[in-house]
Formats: sequence, C-alpha cells, structure tokens
Amino acid sequence: MAQSESGPRTVPPPLEPGAPSDFELMKGIQAGDADALSQLYDRYNGILKALILRVIHNEAEADDLLQEIFMEIWNQAKNFSEQKGKPLGWMVTLARRRAIDGLRKKQAYARAEERLQNETEQQPDAWVHNATEEEIVLGDTRVLIRKVISSLPPAQQQAIELAFFRGMSQREIAAKTNTPLGTVKTRLELGLKKIYDGLKDLKDEL
Amino acid sequence: MNFEQFQNQSRLYVIGALEPEELDEFEKAREKFGKQAEDFISKCYALHEAFALSLRPAKSSDAIKDRLMAMVKAKKQP
Repeated sequence: MAQSESGPRTVPPPLEPGAPSDFELMKGIQAGDADALSQLYDRYNGILKALILRVIHNEAEADDLLQEIFMEIWNQAKNFSEQKGKPLGWMVTLARRRAIDGLRKKQAYARAEERLQNETEQQPDAWVHNATEEEIVLGDTRVLIRKVISSLPPAQQQAIELAFFRGMSQREIAAKTNTPLGTVKTRLELGLKKIYDGLKDLKDEL
Repeated sequence: MNFEQFQNQSRLYVIGALEPEELDEFEKAREKFGKQAEDFISKCYALHEAFALSLRPAKSSDAIKDRLMAMVKAKKQP
C-alpha cells in the first residue's frame, strides 16, 4: 500500500527548559553568532562523532573530521532551509557525506576494512546492540529507534548498514556478501520501508 | 513506475544506494510525480537522522571544540 500524509519523525534528545531550539541556533549561525555554533556543537557532537566513527573506524581521524564538519556547518549554514527539514537531519546528511568521502579518499580504507572485519567478528550486531544499561532504562528515542532497526532480519540490517555507513552500492554489497544483486535490492527496499514505517509509528508513542 | 515503486526507490536514493542505471528512471518518475515526489523524498531524509540517533553518542576530545571556536573566531576577524 502506498505511503501517504505524514512522514517518519525522529526526536533528538530533550532540551533544557528555555534552551533555544535547533532552528533558533541555525538562525543564529546564519547571522554569524559563534555562541549558537558552540551550543549546537555541545548538543550534537556526540551523535555526529558516533556517525563518523561508524564510517571510518578511527578515533583521531573522526575527531579531525568532526571539527571540519562543524566548520562546514558554520560556512554552509546559509544553505540550510527550514522548509527542507530539521537541522539535525541536515547535519547528519552533511557529516555522512564527508565521512564517506574521507573514507574513500584515504589509503586507510583497507585498514578500516580490516578493523570492521574484526569488529564484525567480535560483535556481529554492534549497530543495534551498543546501548548501555543506562540508555535502555531511559527508554529514550534512541532505544525506540534501535528497537525498530533490531526488529529487521540480520541480512536486511547488514545490507542497510553497508549502504548507509559504508556508502556501498548495491553491486558492492552483493559482491561483499556474496549475494545476488536482486536479493540485495529486495533486502534494502524491505528493510528501509520497515524502518520508515516504524518511525512513523513512533510519533504516536512519543 | 507507480508511486509505490517510486517510494521504494526514494528510500534507496536518499542513502545513495540506487545504481546508475536506476537513476534515470527514478529522475523521470520524480519529474512525473512533481511536488508529491519532492515531499516524499524530503521525508525520507528522516532515515539519516534515525540512523545517527540509533548510535550511542561518542565522546570527542575537548581540544576539538577549542580549535573549532578558535577557527571561527579567526574567520570572523577582518
């Protein structure tokens, strides 16, 4: 059945009472307010660092890239439009693109592959099973999103992780997992649809 | 391509997983469905946010923010 009306919604961590919204901070940055960037950094550096680390698997390189990405947020803030989505979505898209570009450019690609391989062997479902006990007790948005993702069959999770966090094409995923191309496409389509629909359902619970 | 197929392709598109030979057909459908297509693609970008929020936040070096703010300050000075 076709999707309609509202799209999925994700909710970032709750703000302190009286704290400026992300949109207000973005307006501040667009106006050249360095304090707004400082606040946005404090709010989201952990999430963006985790994303970058997930792509490049190197702590020092992730820190350097995080700094470059926030500098790009400062420089490119004028291109952010409230009509096109939320600031976090814009920042994540930017960070992911930079991280994947960085990964492809570096000779470190091979080393990252090896690290990923080791991590995969040690912790096969790390994407969705890295919550601390404290986070699980909190029952926050992150846990709900993880629940949606972890409800997918492992093969769908793997295909999505390789596409999103490694920037792999369907053909590359097919080659890496020794799976027919059509199967990879189906796994991606089914998995992404379930996550999208799951996120839509979340908004009724939050 | 009907709209449901377009929706499936859109979710692949936003994570960069459409193959080059699929992109042409996708762009044609995008044009055909117009605003409805653009609205749906925008919604699909929520997937990016969700994937990032699914990760446990990582701690950054304290020096990163200091360097960042110093660079911003230097850039602002004439």
